[in-house]
Amino acid sequence: MAKKYGMIHDNNLCIGCQACNVACRSENQIPESVYRLQVWVKQEEYPNGGLGYEYHRQSCVQCENTPCVSVCPTHASYKNEDGIVLIDNDLCVGCLYCVAACPYQARYVHPVTKAPDKCTFCHESRLARGEEPACVTVCPTDALIFGDLNDPKSKINKALSERVTYRQKESLGTQPKMFIVPNHKGGIRS
Amino acid sequence: MNQIWGSMEQYSTLVWHWPIAVYLFLAGLSAGAAMTSLIVKWIEGNGKPPWDGLIKAGALLAPLTICLGLVLLIFDLTRPLMFWKLLIHYNFGSVMTLGVLGLFIYTPLSFIYAAIKFKPWLFETGPFAGLLRPFKGLLDKVGDNPAWLERTLFLFAVIIGIYTGFLLSAMYSYPLFNTPLLPILFLASGLSSGIAASILFGLLFFKSEVNEKNAKYLLELDLRVVPMELLLLFALFVGMYFQGGDKAIIAVQALTTGIWAFVFWGGVIGVGIATPLLIAITALKHHAYRVGYILLNSLVVLIGVVFLRLYILYAGQTFVG
Repeated sequence: MAKKYGMIHDNNLCIGCQACNVACRSENQIPESVYRLQVWVKQEEYPNGGLGYEYHRQSCVQCENTPCVSVCPTHASYKNEDGIVLIDNDLCVGCLYCVAACPYQARYVHPVTKAPDKCTFCHESRLARGEEPACVTVCPTDALIFGDLNDPKSKINKALSERVTYRQKESLGTQPKMFIVPNHKGGIRS
Repeated sequence: MNQIWGSMEQYSTLVWHWPIAVYLFLAGLSAGAAMTSLIVKWIEGNGKPPWDGLIKAGALLAPLTICLGLVLLIFDLTRPLMFWKLLIHYNFGSVMTLGVLGLFIYTPLSFIYAAIKFKPWLFETGPFAGLLRPFKGLLDKVGDNPAWLERTLFLFAVIIGIYTGFLLSAMYSYPLFNTPLLPILFLASGLSSGIAASILFGLLFFKSEVNEKNAKYLLELDLRVVPMELLLLFALFVGMYFQGGDKAIIAVQALTTGIWAFVFWGGVIGVGIATPLLIAITALKHHAYRVGYILLNSLVVLIGVVFLRLYILYAGQTFVG
């Protein structure tokens, strides 16, 4: 059976340290000033006046129902057999339709290739070697869980069965495979 | 870089810039000009050479503006040398691919149609007459009134006009684009700009060949399309407002905030819709034939449509909720 890779970002465990961001840059040799992954830290004030932080993982959410792939005129944007959304640079003309159509702002134009680039779950490097994506490996608090959604015994399915999760902009019907465990404090702002 | 997570420069929602707006304008104008030329040509008595100046103007504008727009579009790609991959790789679910396929049919037809209208110039009086003479037989075979060609051209002009709207409305990342009325609005404003450009171009370059009756007819037609645009804009924003949530907020923001609200009220409504209507009920009252005002009228309609494309493209990418 084909794999279907997904990820969980647990807002209660995340501390916004950016280790994932740095690991991603080094593993994937991301040029200066562009990012496949950032964790946005936002200060929150709760109804009782208490302070806290919300952490937003800004990266591709690996939709099942992919706006970027739908609009791409040449099939340069595609979803591979493991459910990962990728870009075939050889087919890309640089129309940026995918960059515009992505509701998650996951794509940027690579300054060297001039083609859009994005999170690949480290598909071409670490995943191919049987390792987890760089961000997951380095996370000091285990706030990121990665695995095969088609395998009932996988770590991710275990976590999805035990924790409350939501996905960003679910109303758009994009079916992201990036699940978020909301902060236990305050409200959810999806 | 102020945040610990790094530069946020790449997260601008403004992805498509002015060349796209100009392309959307030129493609709409091209489609509108083709329709205009055919509408005039199909009027009883206009179906044979010498062609009316307005028929010629529209026939010439259609291929020229679409080619200009496509060149602009290609150079706006981040990888312009790869553009040919668009021509041989298709995704039938992508509006851009469907547009490419539509243009495959529309563009050559618009050239053939124009060639029929400029036969004497192409094969006898023009500078390329010697070079082109071998093709005269081919064009003669098509004849002066190829019904199948004209009907197909008209159909594809409608398709091109409407596809420019679907190109934007297919993106649900931008609520102002993602409305069912946008393709209709673009088709209507494309037709309006095509009529205006044909009148302007016809009266400037083929004045002696323009029949006053045809010019008046087109002027009246444009004065019917312009209020339609107003109605479509009205329905678009009110419709968004009634959708509630983010969409209601975006509709209000787009009409009230910053430079783009100014462009909308001043450029789209003021210049593009109010001015031509004002000219129609004053200087051109009772269908007076005053060339100066007719040219002015066409000019403001064209400028208004440029503003409309710029406004929709930029406001749509600015106000995203």
